[in-house]
Amino acid sequence: MAEKHIISAFDEDIEKIQSTLMKMGGLVEKSLFDAAAALVKSDIELARKVKEHDQVIDSLEEEVNIQTVRLIALRSPAATDLRYALSFIKVASNLERIGDYGKNMAKRSLVMEPSLITEQGSNSLRRMTKDVILMMNNALDAYVRKDVELAEAVIIQDKDIDLHYNALFREFLTFMMEDPKNITTCMHLHFIAKNIERVGDYVTSIAEQAIYVATGEYPSEERPKLDTTSLTKVDPKSVS
Amino acid sequence: MKNEIKISAKGVQVFYADKHAIKNVDVEIKDKTVTAFIGPSGCGKSTFLRSLNRMNDTINTCRVEGEILLDGQNIYDPEVDPVQLRAKVGMVFQKPNPFPKSIYDNVAYGPRIHGLSQSKTELDEIVEMALRRGALWEEVKDRLSEPGTGLSGGQQQRLCIARAIATQPEVLLMDEPCSALDPIATAQIEELINDLKENFCVVIVTHSMQQAARVSNKTAFFHLGDLVEYGDTEELFIKPIDPRTESYISGKIG
Repeated sequence: MAEKHIISAFDEDIEKIQSTLMKMGGLVEKSLFDAAAALVKSDIELARKVKEHDQVIDSLEEEVNIQTVRLIALRSPAATDLRYALSFIKVASNLERIGDYGKNMAKRSLVMEPSLITEQGSNSLRRMTKDVILMMNNALDAYVRKDVELAEAVIIQDKDIDLHYNALFREFLTFMMEDPKNITTCMHLHFIAKNIERVGDYVTSIAEQAIYVATGEYPSEERPKLDTTSLTKVDPKSVS
Repeated sequence: MKNEIKISAKGVQVFYADKHAIKNVDVEIKDKTVTAFIGPSGCGKSTFLRSLNRMNDTINTCRVEGEILLDGQNIYDPEVDPVQLRAKVGMVFQKPNPFPKSIYDNVAYGPRIHGLSQSKTELDEIVEMALRRGALWEEVKDRLSEPGTGLSGGQQQRLCIARAIATQPEVLLMDEPCSALDPIATAQIEELINDLKENFCVVIVTHSMQQAARVSNKTAFFHLGDLVEYGDTEELFIKPIDPRTESYISGKIG
């Protein structure tokens, strides 16, 4: 925002909401990071912290909504300001959902039995989480800087998350077919993987908001969907 | 008919002595539509509005170039009678300016001088029709002989609109018709404008962008004598194309 509003309080209002969103982004990032760490290290204390942490994220979303309603009521935003106002509410909602997935990962980490599969799976999931965190940071950067190119790059990155999920889906399926004792662990691991894949979708939505704010249009192309697991089936003959 | 071009301006330039107030403006204004002109003070929007019914003729230093076609006829042609033109293209001003006459006579004035009625009954009908269309009839029907200046500000403005309607114009020009009114009277005028577009081509100059957004279908943004952007009102307010429009409607330049 190189050009300033004549009413300087207008700029302050917008900056304040943006900084609340960035604070939310920071907490959500920490939540995902810690949840993945808790999973790998079976750290009950850390997992519990992530769960508590989520309330703060929820209350920040509410704060963004209240501040945005106020902005609309008092400032009658137009053009880019109007598009920002609409996107504030959406981005806050996206971040809140991502936070929920972090909490869910932490919850599941508490019930996982230690095993070789748990260890391997957790490490894979942590790598996937790190990728999605990087993507989220880029999406938020693109959003604040109205950087269309970066936002488009994020949307393309989501492909990798989908591919990663596909691979894990097959891996967990194989473990479960090998030994029914693996089912509990693999079901939990699979849900976490699916949730991280969903996080990628929410991050993509933030990137789309960045493009909307910058250009007034939503990206027209279909976003790349490489999650093919809904078409995957198990061949009964392969189970011995 | 809806969506038909009522007024077509081509290469319009307006000068006040040496000052170039309107620079090469091309615009097509649709019939049965509300078109709003917005822009900072001194941008030329009122000048352009006034050139649409030759109100600038009275200013000696003012010079208009280019063409303004009303239903295909250039209103600046020598054979066009400006008085007849103004009966066809009515105008409502910023401050309500009823004549110091009765409510009835205010509205009957135009039809009388233009000889639009043959009898008293006919004139009564015209006055009633105009006051109804001006959304004032119910409030004044029992006191038509009282002075128009005794009405409230909002009522006076609606009286002026009724007066403008009485000559059965085709175009209504409004130069900031609500700037002297309170929010309730403003809302009533805005509601009225919405009704008026059923029968007239309405062009309104307003300083209130919210008002332009509320009442108009099309918006034209003027800046330093240029017509910067002209388009559907919602597009212009959500997704303006020109950065100058963006700055103005977001309150970044005055």
